[in-house]
Amino acid sequence: MHRKGVGLAAFDRREQSNRSFAELSSALNKSQIDHLHAQLTQFRAALVHFASTHRDSIKNDPSFRHAFQQMCSSIGVDPLAGPRKGGWWAELLGLGDWQYELGVQIVDICVSTRERNGGMIEMSELIRLITKLRGVDHGAVTEDDVARSISTLRPLKAGYQVTVVGGRKMVRSVVKELDEDQTTILILAQEEGGRVVEDMLVQRRGWTRERAHAAMDNMLLRDGLCWLDEQDEHEGRAYWVPSAMQWDL
Amino acid sequence: MIFTTHTTKSGFLLPSIHSAPPFFTEQPNPATQAIATDHWIRLILGYARHRKLFFLKVEDAETSSNDWDEVLKNERINRKVLPSHLSYVLEAMVKKNVAVYEPSKQTRTVMLYWRTPEEWAETLHNWASSTGQLTTILTYYDITDPPVESELTGIPVPLLKKAIAILAKAGKAQVIGISEGEGVRFFAGN
Repeated sequence: MHRKGVGLAAFDRREQSNRSFAELSSALNKSQIDHLHAQLTQFRAALVHFASTHRDSIKNDPSFRHAFQQMCSSIGVDPLAGPRKGGWWAELLGLGDWQYELGVQIVDICVSTRERNGGMIEMSELIRLITKLRGVDHGAVTEDDVARSISTLRPLKAGYQVTVVGGRKMVRSVVKELDEDQTTILILAQEEGGRVVEDMLVQRRGWTRERAHAAMDNMLLRDGLCWLDEQDEHEGRAYWVPSAMQWDL
Repeated sequence: MIFTTHTTKSGFLLPSIHSAPPFFTEQPNPATQAIATDHWIRLILGYARHRKLFFLKVEDAETSSNDWDEVLKNERINRKVLPSHLSYVLEAMVKKNVAVYEPSKQTRTVMLYWRTPEEWAETLHNWASSTGQLTTILTYYDITDPPVESELTGIPVPLLKKAIAILAKAGKAQVIGISEGEGVRFFAGN
């Protein structure tokens, strides 16, 4: 005879099975969580291992660092997240410190050269000076590193930015937009190793003499982006753009 | 164009800015000019210390073949400091108290303080005590032209007098009238 399970005993049975299902599910959950914990511990151990074995390579080898940064961004990990954001990762690597340290060096060079270049420095020149400042033991620094450090400086709102002028990367350390004429002059200065005369703007860029004169005057007097040379052999009067000149300190 | 440092015949290392042509022009932008002037002052004092030069004259930018050629000119880039520019730098040096017009009441010659009178006073006192000449009466000539060359050899008398005055104030020297004019006696002091 088939039991339909409609009596009081049926309630008991159902309750019992519900209970056992609940037990089973919590047991399953627990095992999943344990499993996850184990995985995380493993992952963390792997990262610690990775960090300790590769920390030096990350700090000293630019191409390794670049590959590492790319790996991080592809899996959505920010190696710069500080300890406060739960970034024990950054702590392990010391990369955050490395990047901030580079940021400080960038600021150092931008500020100390600002007086002569008016707050614009060519990327290659900046890297050259940073390398000099860091000494040989600290390994090379790439454009990528500099750009990354500059982006970590953004919260300071000091106006540090990488801009492209005439196909060349320049780092700007003043809050100042370059107008079109200034950009043209900077490009010309870079082609000429720093020296610009009004004639170049008239002949090669088709500017009127007045426009050339006014633009150079602004660069000189208003912006302090160039220096005057009144002893020029050919023109008598030339302008020198320090940010386009290469200096040996 | 790469701007590099350069070592002169006298063994002085010129900074890279000295090979930049606009460094030899007075800058119309006041901020730029202030920077350039600071560089000039540092350069002039450094060179004076290197060569033990005590005076700089506007004239040094007008004539050639003088002690200042290596600094006031750069033949490699065919630039030189013009007298009016130098005159401006001298004025700035006097304002910053790293030089004084000497003699006073003119503005064409300065006496350079690559050491301050206070530092000279200390040098002077050290010299007198280390050569065992404390309490001995010395003429200025004994100090500026001693038989054994010293750091004070060639020091101009006006500068020497300033240093002595500082020591006298501290009770470490006394100016004495002697037959040839003035002499000085140093004391150990405290």
